[in-house]
Amino acid sequence: MQDHNKPAANPLIVLREEFEDSAILYNPDSGSTFALNSLGVFIWKRLDGLHSEEDILIELQDHCKNIPEAADAHLKGFIRSLLIKGLAEYRT
Amino acid sequence: MKVMATPRSVDLSITGHCNLRCRYCSHFSSPSDVGENLPTEAWLKLFEELNACAVMNVTLSGGEPFCREDLKDLIEGIVRNRMRYNILSNGTLITDRMAEFIAFTGRCDGVQVSIDGPIPEIHDSFRGEGNFRKAIAGIRFLQKHNVNVDVRVTIHRKNVYNLEKIARLLLEDLGLSGFSTNSASYMGRCRHNSEQIQLTVKERSFAMEALLKLNKKYNGRIFASAGPLAECESWFEMEQACRGKGESISGGGYLTGCGGPMSSMAVRADGVMIPCAQLSHLDLGRINTDKLKAVWQNHPTLKRLRERCRISLSAFDFCKGCDYVNFCTGNCPALAYNILGDENHPSPDACLRRFLKKGGIKARGGR
Repeated sequence: MQDHNKPAANPLIVLREEFEDSAILYNPDSGSTFALNSLGVFIWKRLDGLHSEEDILIELQDHCKNIPEAADAHLKGFIRSLLIKGLAEYRT
Repeated sequence: MKVMATPRSVDLSITGHCNLRCRYCSHFSSPSDVGENLPTEAWLKLFEELNACAVMNVTLSGGEPFCREDLKDLIEGIVRNRMRYNILSNGTLITDRMAEFIAFTGRCDGVQVSIDGPIPEIHDSFRGEGNFRKAIAGIRFLQKHNVNVDVRVTIHRKNVYNLEKIARLLLEDLGLSGFSTNSASYMGRCRHNSEQIQLTVKERSFAMEALLKLNKKYNGRIFASAGPLAECESWFEMEQACRGKGESISGGGYLTGCGGPMSSMAVRADGVMIPCAQLSHLDLGRINTDKLKAVWQNHPTLKRLRERCRISLSAFDFCKGCDYVNFCTGNCPALAYNILGDENHPSPDACLRRFLKKGGIKARGGR
């Protein structure tokens, strides 16, 4: 069964935290990269198949100041883009 | 200075052995010529560390990488540890089955094969008899399995007047999408055979003109990061900037010619970490004993190489009175080391003023 609320990072994808404030996701099969800011890294590290999107949002609110009201939508959009690119998945 | 947490790529000399003894080989007769090969397990252990460091790409070189009987095991280790790879080879040991295996991994960015002539006599003159045919066979095996082939032409005194025929062979007969060029540098074995191998100023000028012309004919399918074609471009930009016509030169006036230590490092065949394959005398520590990430971030030698970009060219007697001093970047530190014994010096071989004084032509644009 897929848990459609608990996304997981594709284990093939490499998180490369190049500098303090920027990182890239690297797909060694395609050689393609996807840039992340520090917030993206925070979310990526919680894509473990155990955290739901709501869990991540709560942690985000605890961790960061001045989270905008639209954060929920941004978070979902970000995760959706990772899913579309094959960087994250719902595990069966 | 912002430094990456870990290197993006690492060059691995997986063997000190080679089936050839090319007369301008930069490996033999250099400090990387250690005559020692690490066991498979040592490399596999390193690959796990590279994975943990999120290294993206490794380049397998030697010696000759295809000399290693465990090459498939090593490549499988690279794939398992989420990296892509390139191979630098003389091409003579590449078999149909090995090419098929490389293709199957889906992770190879390219195999670089050296071809230095359009016919066996020229290629083999410095690489040994029979090796042209073997290298071409290796290329054909790679092509058969759709592995990206990067042919590198090292320009020297015996092939400089054959560039047109070489381009025809590579781009028309073999149907490669492009190829790259450099020239034999004062490193390794070339240091002992320099007179017979390295281009004179006249030959270098000829090569610059010929490559520009060929690149026009073949729509920019010839590349270079060193050697006559690269010099054409960089010297033309320097001329333009000096006359106030072109764009300013990024990093001009300082030793900024090499960005290698900002993104990559290397490992010798004996497991000693070094900044670059051409700076193999600079021992940074040993793999699987010293932590690569700590070496990368903290080793004083790497820090010193990174700080090189703060050294002003005007501080060198060598550059005194040069019109180009604010537009020059000092070029390759390894070449400076090999010629002068000091990597913190502009490379004399890449000096435009010196080249022109000796009768070299002014570079034209149009690459």
